[in-house]
Amino acid sequence: MTQEVTAAMTVEAQSIKKLLKTLLARRETSVAIILLLVVILMSFASEYFFTQRNLLNIGRQASVVAIVALGQTLVIIARGIDLSVGSVIGLSAVTGAIVAQTTGSQVLGIGGALGAGLAAGLFNAVLYTRFHINPFIATLGTLSIARGLALLMTGGIPVSFNGWASWFGAGRIADVPVSLVMMFLLAVLFFFLATRTRAGRNIYATGDNPTAARLAGIDVDRTRVLVFAVSGLLAGLGGLILAGNLNSASPDLGRGYELDVIAAVILGGTALSGGRGSIPGVILGALLMALLGNAFVLLGISSHWQVVTKGLVIVLAVGIDGIQRGRED
Amino acid sequence: MTTHRLNIAGVTKSFGPVKVLHGVDLKIAPGSVVGLLGENGAGKSTLMNIVSGSLRQDAGHLHLDGTELALQSVRDGIDLGIRFVHQELSTIGSLSVAENIFLGDYLAGRAGVIKRRDMAARSQEALASVGLDRIDPNTIVETLRPGQQQLIEIAKAVVVQPRLLILDEPTSSLTSVEAAKLFELMRKLAADGAAVIFITHKLEEALNNCDRIVVLRDGALVSDELADQTDKARLIHHMVGKSSVFEWKGSAAKASDAQISIRGLCDADAHLSPVSLDVGAGEVVALFGLVGAGRTEFMETLFGFRKAAGGEVFIHGRPLRLGHVPTSVRNGVAMVPEGRKVRGILPSHSVERNISASNLDRLSRFGLMRAGAEQGAAADLAASLRIKMENAKQVITRLSGGNQQKAVFARAVMVEPRLLLLDEPTHGVDVGAKSEIYEIIHELALKGMSVIVSSSELPEVLAIADRCVVFSQGEMVGSLTRSEMSEGEILRLAFANH
Repeated sequence: MTQEVTAAMTVEAQSIKKLLKTLLARRETSVAIILLLVVILMSFASEYFFTQRNLLNIGRQASVVAIVALGQTLVIIARGIDLSVGSVIGLSAVTGAIVAQTTGSQVLGIGGALGAGLAAGLFNAVLYTRFHINPFIATLGTLSIARGLALLMTGGIPVSFNGWASWFGAGRIADVPVSLVMMFLLAVLFFFLATRTRAGRNIYATGDNPTAARLAGIDVDRTRVLVFAVSGLLAGLGGLILAGNLNSASPDLGRGYELDVIAAVILGGTALSGGRGSIPGVILGALLMALLGNAFVLLGISSHWQVVTKGLVIVLAVGIDGIQRGRED
Repeated sequence: MTTHRLNIAGVTKSFGPVKVLHGVDLKIAPGSVVGLLGENGAGKSTLMNIVSGSLRQDAGHLHLDGTELALQSVRDGIDLGIRFVHQELSTIGSLSVAENIFLGDYLAGRAGVIKRRDMAARSQEALASVGLDRIDPNTIVETLRPGQQQLIEIAKAVVVQPRLLILDEPTSSLTSVEAAKLFELMRKLAADGAAVIFITHKLEEALNNCDRIVVLRDGALVSDELADQTDKARLIHHMVGKSSVFEWKGSAAKASDAQISIRGLCDADAHLSPVSLDVGAGEVVALFGLVGAGRTEFMETLFGFRKAAGGEVFIHGRPLRLGHVPTSVRNGVAMVPEGRKVRGILPSHSVERNISASNLDRLSRFGLMRAGAEQGAAADLAASLRIKMENAKQVITRLSGGNQQKAVFARAVMVEPRLLLLDEPTHGVDVGAKSEIYEIIHELALKGMSVIVSSSELPEVLAIADRCVVFSQGEMVGSLTRSEMSEGEILRLAFANH
C-alpha cells in the first residue's frame, strides 16, 4: 500500500520535473517567470505599482531599449553584433535637432534623425561586408566615431528639439505613450519578418552557418547589410524618442545603451553564436529590465543596487539556460 | 576463463523514442584488430561513444580486462588507456604539433612551466610512428594538410601505448602511402598488446588489415567473421541486408542544344590552368584527381563561390555572370559541397528548412513565405530521397550523417538545376546510402540535368560517369569516354603531372 503511494508520487514528481524541464528549456520562459515574480512581489510591496500610470510608465521606459533591441536581435541572429547603437542614438538625435533648427522643417528634422541612424548602420555594413572587418571591431569603431561626431556637431552643448519629436518622445494615443505603441507595432512587424519572410529565413541561415548559407545560394552579404541597416535605423528612431521626451538632443544621449540593448537580446533567448533567437523574447527581456528599474525607484533602493541587480538577472537567466543545454563546447 | 580486453554485453541505448542499440554483445581480445562496419546510422558511433565514455548506456555492461567500466567522461576513459580518434578533425589549428599531441597532458615542471624540449622530443617519436618523421614538432598545425592533421591525432592517441584504440574512418583524408603506414602502426600496436577497433566504409581496407570483421545493422550486431573467411559481397550483404553492387545503369545523355559550355575558366588564386569543358544534357561527367588536383577549386569557381580570374560559362547558350552564388543558383546551377558539417548543413535548422534553403525565392511571393509550400516541397523530396527521420521539423543534427547528406542533396535538387555540381557526394556515406545516391544521380540525368561530380573513388567514377575528366596539379589532363575508361588509364592520367 505505502509502496504504491510512493510509486505514484514518484511518477507524479517525475512528470512535474519533465514539464518544468521543457518549460525551462526556453530562456524566454525563465525570463517570463522572473518577470512574473517581480510583478507579484511589487504588487505587495507598493500600492502605487499597479496604477495605470505606473504601468504605462514602465512600458514607456522599456520601449526605447526594446525598439533598438529589435534591430540588434536580427544582427545577433545573423551572427553579428552592433556595439554602436548607443552612440548612434546620440548622433541621430543631434542630427535631427540641428536639421530641424536650421531648416525649420519638422519633417526634415525627423528624416535627419532616421537618416543619420540608417547611414551609421550602412557604414557598419560596408565595414563588415566590403572591408571584412569583424563586426565587433567595426561597430566599436563606429561607437567612437558617432559619439565624437555628435560632440563636434554640438560643441558638447545640448540642442533643443521639440515639435514633432516631442510627439514621438512624450505624446500619447488614448493615454498610451506613442513610443509604447510603436514598440508593439514594430514587435509585431519584426515577428512577422523573422518568421514569415524570405529575408527572415536568410537571416537565420546566415547566422547558423555562413559558409553553408552562401553555398546554398543565399545572398549572405546582402543579408548582413540589411540587418545592420535596420539596426542603425532603429537606433535613429530611439534617438528621436529619447530626445523628444526631453525636448532636447544632448550629444551624450544613449551613452551605455548598447549594453542594455544587448542584455535585452540575450535575456530574450537569442544565441550570441547566431542562428537562434526570437522576437517575443526580446520584448520580454526589455520589459524585465524596465520593470527592475521601476521597482528600485518605488522601493527607494539606491540606484547603485539596480546596476548590480541588472547584471545578476542576466547571469541568472542565461545561467539557467546554460545548465539546461549542457556544455556546448 | 580468458579475460577479454573489451567485453560489451547487452548494451542498449535510446535517444528519445528512437532505440539506436538493441543489446549489443561484442568481445575483443588483446592483440587483435577488429573491423567495425555498418551503414551510417547503424549505431557504430553511438557504441564507440559509449565505450570511450562520452555517452552512457541505458542497459548492459562493459568490462575492460575483466573490470567493469563505469566511465563518467572521456577523461576517465583516457586514464584507463581507451583512446578514440574521431573522424572529424579535433586538432587545434593555432597550436604546434607538440602542443596538440600533449593537449590535456602537458609535460610541466613543478611551477606549471611547460617542458617544451621534452614534449618536442617525445612528439618526434610519436610522429615517427605514424610516418610523419619529417614534420617538425614545433610546426603550427593549421599549416598542415588535413591528412597530416589526422595523423597527428593518431600520434596523440598512441604517444602512450593504449589498451584499446578506436579509429573512426581514419583513412578518408589520407593518401595511400599514409594509409599504408597507418595500417602498419595498427599491426604494431596490436603486436604490443593493444586491441584496435577500426571503423571504415572501405571494405578492402577492412579485409586486408583486420583479424575479424563485425557488422552492425540497425543497432544490432549481424555478423562476426574472420577477415580471411569473408569477402566484399558478403560484407555488403550483411550491411544492407541485400547484396548490392554498383552497376553502370547506362547513359542518359541525349543530343540537344541544351548544354553547358565552360571556356578557359581559371580561378583568382591561380590553382587552375584554364579549363574548357562541355557537358551535354543528361550527361554525367566525373572529375577525378588526387588530393590537391584542383577539382574543388574548379567546381567552386564555376559555381561562383571563388573568384574567377578569367573564362566564360554558358548555361544553355546564355552567359553566366561569374563570382556570385545567388546568380548562379537563379540561373540553374546548384552544388552539393564537400564537407557536410562545415559547408553543408545549417545545424540549428530543421530538416525541412535545410532542404528549402536554396529555394526561398520560389517558396515565397513578394518576400513572404507561402503557407504550406515549403512543407509540401520538402516532404516530397524527403520522401523521394528516402531520408530517414522522425519528422521534417526535427533539427537536422539529430539525423545520421548519410541522411544529413541526403538533405543537402535534396536542397540542390529542389532548385531543379540545369547543371548540378557534386563535390564528393558520397564521402563518409555508407554503402546503402551510396547506391541510393547513385540512383538519384541517374534519375536526375534522365530528366536532362547535366551533372559534374567530383570523386576520388574509382569504383564510383566507373559506376556513374558517362565521361571522366582527369585533373592533375590544377590542370585538366584528359577526358575519357566510357569505352576509354579504366582504372589504370584514369590513374595514369591522374599522375600525369607528378
